[in-house]
Amino acid sequence: MSNPIDPNTKPLPIDTSYGMENRAIDHAFKIAFESQPPKAKVGKRVTVCAANELQPGQRRIVEVPPHSIGVFNIDGKFHAIRNVCPHYGAPLCQGSVHATHKPADVHQYEVALQGRVLRCPWHGWEFDIPTGKGLYDKNSRVMTYPVEVDAKGDIIVTV
Amino acid sequence: MANVPIIDCDIHPEATKENPLDPFVPESAREALRQGLGGAPGAGYSNPFGVTRRDAECKDPLKVGVDHFDKYGIHYGILQPPGMKVSLTLQIDAGNALARAWNDWQINTWLAADKRFLGSVCINLNDPAEAIKEIRRAGVHPQMVQVNVGGESRDLYGHRRYFPIYESMSDMNLPLCLHPGSEGSLDSATPVGRPSTYFEWHTAIPLTFQAHLISMVTEGVFEKFPKMKLVLCEGGIAWLCHTMWRLDKNFKALRSTTPWLRRAPSEYIFDHVRLTTQPLEEPAVPEQLLTIFEILHAERTLMFATDFPHWDFDEPNRTLPRATPPELKRRIFYDNAAELYGLPKLPATLPTTTSSRPVAVGVTA
Repeated sequence: MSNPIDPNTKPLPIDTSYGMENRAIDHAFKIAFESQPPKAKVGKRVTVCAANELQPGQRRIVEVPPHSIGVFNIDGKFHAIRNVCPHYGAPLCQGSVHATHKPADVHQYEVALQGRVLRCPWHGWEFDIPTGKGLYDKNSRVMTYPVEVDAKGDIIVTV
Repeated sequence: MANVPIIDCDIHPEATKENPLDPFVPESAREALRQGLGGAPGAGYSNPFGVTRRDAECKDPLKVGVDHFDKYGIHYGILQPPGMKVSLTLQIDAGNALARAWNDWQINTWLAADKRFLGSVCINLNDPAEAIKEIRRAGVHPQMVQVNVGGESRDLYGHRRYFPIYESMSDMNLPLCLHPGSEGSLDSATPVGRPSTYFEWHTAIPLTFQAHLISMVTEGVFEKFPKMKLVLCEGGIAWLCHTMWRLDKNFKALRSTTPWLRRAPSEYIFDHVRLTTQPLEEPAVPEQLLTIFEILHAERTLMFATDFPHWDFDEPNRTLPRATPPELKRRIFYDNAAELYGLPKLPATLPTTTSSRPVAVGVTA
């Protein structure tokens, strides 16, 4: 039985500040809004398909053992994200893609991240595809990979 | 009318001592009826063996001061007056009048008699404008420390029609205290049917508490009113572990439907919600409660209560598990409530209160 009060910690304050540091969801959306897609890196270059085979709104899942990666065309830009949900390991990239509501005042709905939110097919957790950021807490993030279209017009993911 | 024959289709007979019903009740059902099991929805639920302890009453402030406060070394006691139920009054003006009356009654009879008594402002939720006036009128009394409402209500307490009331409470730093009261008098006491017995009804009270708490958290009451505090009084505590975990779990999938929630639901609970102990759950292994205390951050959220003089009273010396660390005990018995209600801090060490542990009389080893 652990001691409910650790003698080394100060009692928690009754009133907490309502600053950004306590608002995990604001933090999550800040990352989604501001972060850039991953830059090119050295790694295995995998050809997904010809760019014109993956139209806006479409996706393709490629197996690069031991990895499984989902490649999405969102408004003409390609994004690659790991096909594993950090929660229970579900095939994340089989989930639905849609918009979400960003943090707003009480009883206000403000649409955000249109067409770039991936909802896990198992438990419905939301992720921002370009950044991999989980939109339900402060720190969770799914691995994303650099994507480019090469001279031949093929989509290349660097794993 | 003499020459017109009459049939009267509506005559109301009464059973009396001379003409009792009892002999016609099958013997197998007589004791059950004596135990109050003949209740019907309109009558509400009350303990068939008496709601009040047989050895105590709470009628005379001076006597309560001696019999309860002095006996256990209680520094302050918060009144939970019957007026918490005035919102159920059918006629709105009568409900408003009752709210004012219960507040003035507390101020003039109890709060005036002994500074150790603290009061709860009664309001009629059916008339928000009058409720706000009453909070501003009665809430300024220095011994009025909260606003209290019963569990039975026309809407879940997260409903926005209550927001103006919460705003006024927030402005005055008065917490909202939710206390069991008349659950089942408007609708069924559970979402799926009416309990048959007081036993069943009383055990189901936390269902109402869960419903109100979930509503207040998800509707954003604590985002809208960052100073708002909620006290869950006499609803038990262990269920909150489940409710909080389930809120947090569902939040991960469903946050987008309540985008005004900007932190995990459990964080709002820890910051804004306080629980009272009585009737504290009594597991067969009492120390298991320490795990519940740890989960619920009892060192900031849990406040002691006896429910004096009711039948399910928790005795101060017997309530917490023996293994409860002294610092935690101190926070549960005094500090958490003192911080919430703005009561004086007391020195860390106090002379121990008189133990009221019963002493065996006439027993020889």
